[in-house]
Amino acid sequence: MELKNRGDLIINGIGASNGGKFQRVILNGRGTVNSDLECSDFECNGSGTVKGDVIANTAKVSGNASFKGTIDSQQVTVEGTAKIEKNLYAKHLQVSGKASVGGKVKCEEINLHGILAVGEDCEAEIFTGKCRFTIGGLLNADQVDIEIYGECKAKEIGGQSIAVKQQKGSFIGTLFKPFLKTQLETDLIEGDIIELENTIAKVVRGNQVKIGANCQIGLVEYTEEFSQDKNAVVGDSKKA
Amino acid sequence: MSEELISKKDLLDLTGISYGQLYRWKRKDLIPEEWFIRKSTFTGQETFFPKEKILERIDKIQTMKENLSLDALADMFSPNISDLQLEKDDLIKRNIVSDTVMNFYLENDMNGLTFQFQRILEAYVLEKLLQSGEINLDEGKMVLQVLKDNAPLIKQKSCELVIIRKLGVSSCLLLINAEAVYLEPGTKMVASLSLMTCMEEIKSKLL
Repeated sequence: MELKNRGDLIINGIGASNGGKFQRVILNGRGTVNSDLECSDFECNGSGTVKGDVIANTAKVSGNASFKGTIDSQQVTVEGTAKIEKNLYAKHLQVSGKASVGGKVKCEEINLHGILAVGEDCEAEIFTGKCRFTIGGLLNADQVDIEIYGECKAKEIGGQSIAVKQQKGSFIGTLFKPFLKTQLETDLIEGDIIELENTIAKVVRGNQVKIGANCQIGLVEYTEEFSQDKNAVVGDSKKA
Repeated sequence: MSEELISKKDLLDLTGISYGQLYRWKRKDLIPEEWFIRKSTFTGQETFFPKEKILERIDKIQTMKENLSLDALADMFSPNISDLQLEKDDLIKRNIVSDTVMNFYLENDMNGLTFQFQRILEAYVLEKLLQSGEINLDEGKMVLQVLKDNAPLIKQKSCELVIIRKLGVSSCLLLINAEAVYLEPGTKMVASLSLMTCMEEIKSKLL
């Protein structure tokens, strides 16, 4: 990308732009961009709307942003809420607030400290976080390492090593425990090394499977090792 | 086309790959999404694959991954056209297109001697069809026209090129994600060519 001779787009207050190619795009206040954007840095601090696709090096949402198209950026940081109607492609995705994506997510690394909702598949090499998530399709990641806060859902999970842990108990957590169920619900988990807690799954397949506390698993198929916590319910386990 | 299917578990047993590898290859688009066929069985949902295709693909990946990175492999299998440009002489030297076919192609396409992937593909398809004697030069022109008119489609989807002939009159079809074609009894299918396979063949010749 040739970026040197491009100008900046800065909207402070209420304003609208038709989009185009820029060096920096900053939306403070209520900015609206009516078509596609291509820029080096995208930042939204107030409540911004982009009605097209965004191609950027870095994209940061600190307020409230909604995108009608696809985001393609090296680094995506969401500190407020972001709503993306189509797909999200990034090298590194960091969510500290809430991000909802209508289509699919494809990243190298996803780090979550908030809420992520994905309509279709979610792919990453590394998927870590302390989070709540809902994934409509397959969560496909080489390493899944999550601590669940609240109700998590994914249709399927597949990868190399998959570890699901319950959040470490906090005082407030214990107060509200009867109301909030911290649980991961999924149809199928497949991986080489699997370690689960607080998980409801119909089928779990893996080489080394460790079922921890508060799990309800319909069927476990394993090839090497299998262990089960006394507080877990496993319908059937088979060594393949 | 009903193909023999293989379940995911049998596939892993047979090929000796792990879940991690399978999912990694899927992420890198080494295995196309369409090959993951979901069916319900008595244990719930299971994933199946078209047996012949997946075994061939896994074999290819396993033999080539020693020399190439996964990303390079992904480029090779993906239908996305790489930003590749070659000169006429390069194509002839690498045995992608022969001299005669190249001259025929250039007579019909005046866009110069530098070939982008789309043009390489066109020339390669002509090469295959003309060299095998399945079509004649006039039909070659027709094929070229079809490929040129539908260039944007070819880039995205898995396309198949079918040439039919009836009573000496030939016609050319481009099928997109088609399962099968049925023809009237008097019609002869002269040639059918998967463009995806052609792209892979070209890419493997280039590497």
